[in-house]
Amino acid sequence: MGLESYLLVGAVLFVSGVVCMATKRNGIGLLMGVELVLNGANVNFVAFSRFTSLGLDGQIVSLFVIVLAAAEAAVALSIALNFYNNHLTIDVDRGDELKG
Amino acid sequence: MNFEEILNLFIQDTADTSVGLIRPELILCGTILSLLFVRLFSIDRWITPSWVALVGAFVAFGFAANDFMVLKEAGGDTVQEIFTGLLIFDRFTAFFRIFLLLFLVLVVTLTILSGLPDLEDGPDFYTLLFGSTIGMMVMASSNHLLILFLGVEMTSVPSYVMVGFLKGKRVSSEASFKYVVYGAGASGVMLYGISLLAGLLGTGNMSLIAERLQMISSSGEPIVSGTAISVMILMVMVGLAFKLSVFPFHFWCPDAFEGASAEVAGFLSVASKAGAFALLVRFALAFSAGDAGALQPTFLYIGLGVGVIAAITATYGNLAAYMQTNVKRLLAYSTIAHAGYMLMGVASVIVLMNAPGEDTAAATANATQALEGLLYYLAVYLFMNLGAFAVVAFIRNSIFSEEIEDYAGLISVTPILCVCMLICMFSLIGMPPFGGFVGKFMIFASLFEAGNIHWVMWLILVAGGLNTVFSLFYYLKVLKVMFLDPRPAGAPDVDVRWGSLPGFYTMLVTAPVVVLGVLVQGLSSTAQNVASVLFP
Repeated sequence: MGLESYLLVGAVLFVSGVVCMATKRNGIGLLMGVELVLNGANVNFVAFSRFTSLGLDGQIVSLFVIVLAAAEAAVALSIALNFYNNHLTIDVDRGDELKG
Repeated sequence: MNFEEILNLFIQDTADTSVGLIRPELILCGTILSLLFVRLFSIDRWITPSWVALVGAFVAFGFAANDFMVLKEAGGDTVQEIFTGLLIFDRFTAFFRIFLLLFLVLVVTLTILSGLPDLEDGPDFYTLLFGSTIGMMVMASSNHLLILFLGVEMTSVPSYVMVGFLKGKRVSSEASFKYVVYGAGASGVMLYGISLLAGLLGTGNMSLIAERLQMISSSGEPIVSGTAISVMILMVMVGLAFKLSVFPFHFWCPDAFEGASAEVAGFLSVASKAGAFALLVRFALAFSAGDAGALQPTFLYIGLGVGVIAAITATYGNLAAYMQTNVKRLLAYSTIAHAGYMLMGVASVIVLMNAPGEDTAAATANATQALEGLLYYLAVYLFMNLGAFAVVAFIRNSIFSEEIEDYAGLISVTPILCVCMLICMFSLIGMPPFGGFVGKFMIFASLFEAGNIHWVMWLILVAGGLNTVFSLFYYLKVLKVMFLDPRPAGAPDVDVRWGSLPGFYTMLVTAPVVVLGVLVQGLSSTAQNVASVLFP
């Protein structure tokens, strides 16, 4: 297994995440898409750290990203909960009071 | 060298040099902790959290100003890589620290005067505000792709929450939900771009990027094409463009500003843009430093692309502002337009640094001037935008409305706020003798210089000029309502007079707008001094 196969996995995860963000209307679904994108990048970092001169830097970055993704998910979920409390739905298309 | 020696070297480097150079950040962290302790031990019955926050911000500002003075007196181009090259400390870092901390002090004062967080919410609000500011300071001093990402996230995550701080309000929760969904998406794309870039270059250190690219492009058979590299750079720029609310990543901005309180909107409109511009300049120069060789045309075209996007952003912001009936939304579109003007400055820096030809000394001098214009514009923008949002916050406290039609005839009840709004808006338009004119003039001058390298920059200059004319109308619309329309009978009074604290605060924030328009020399020479450190 060379670098290419790992990058391919990363790219598939990235594209799935972007498609998920573009098509899902459910707030939680969108956040899942974000997680896929971040993990696609993580696979890249770890693969690069094994196969290129990026070395340990890549693994350290991916550890940071895991922590950040958790923090971001916590904040995003609490905001989604707040949205639900006010609107009784987490469908992003229903948030249409602000426009223009 | 065995493990112990490496560890000792590392500890020595961290303790002796690095920690001493991030004192302002450490003080902000300490303030956050003391804010939380104040509530934990119920000290907030005697000390209001907002005063703890104000003192912390002020002390941090003092240290940042001291660092800057020391650097300035030392002269020369002191550039220190700290924390094993993750952060960089130079005049540019120190300038942005002063800028952000001055702004933090002003925002904390504004929230004290307008009473945004009550006693119960105070520690939460200031924790988020300070955390976000630390993120911006990290952005301004970043020297590594990891720190680039961390800085953007540290800034974004607290600001999502701040936008939704008015928990019970429907629009506020909608605004923060939209903001977090767009923001998380943009940072994900940026991280993917960073992963490819770091893998290709074999390093995340931004000071090595130019050298590695040179190696890649000059080896007989390049392993990647210029197109692939520009796609990676563009992916990273998506994240930054989101923070700058640049077209087509501007959707969140009007919604977030309308849903958030005016104080938070003012904070986001100035501080997060300043941090993102500092980071964008560092990122762009990491590529342009030195001779880019075969990749030079690619970078030149990236610069032109940034310029075209800047022109579209400014035009879009100004056109969309016409239809607005809500003041905060109007100011949000005006923020987008101003991000466009400032991005034009960045575009001319990139274009000037990647000019074909041998005359690097002249190119560097011109690029320094373009960056000087950007810094001057940012400094003026701090005061004029904060002034406008402060006026909106104070008026909201009295009339409970942010609709333009409710501002009718305010001149008869609160002349001080109206005059300050007039000065801020004239400066936002770019009229002499206010500071906005000088900043805009400097940026347009740099666009003219860049036009000598590629004619597209002249078109962008024309677009910038036309935009200034467009923007005249919607700012004047607000001013007309405030100054010329009669105050309807029974409309609520606005209790802000000359002598009152809010009136004094607004004057204090507005005064620099006038001063910077008349006395240009002081700030402009400082800005040039700061800009020159990035072009060794």
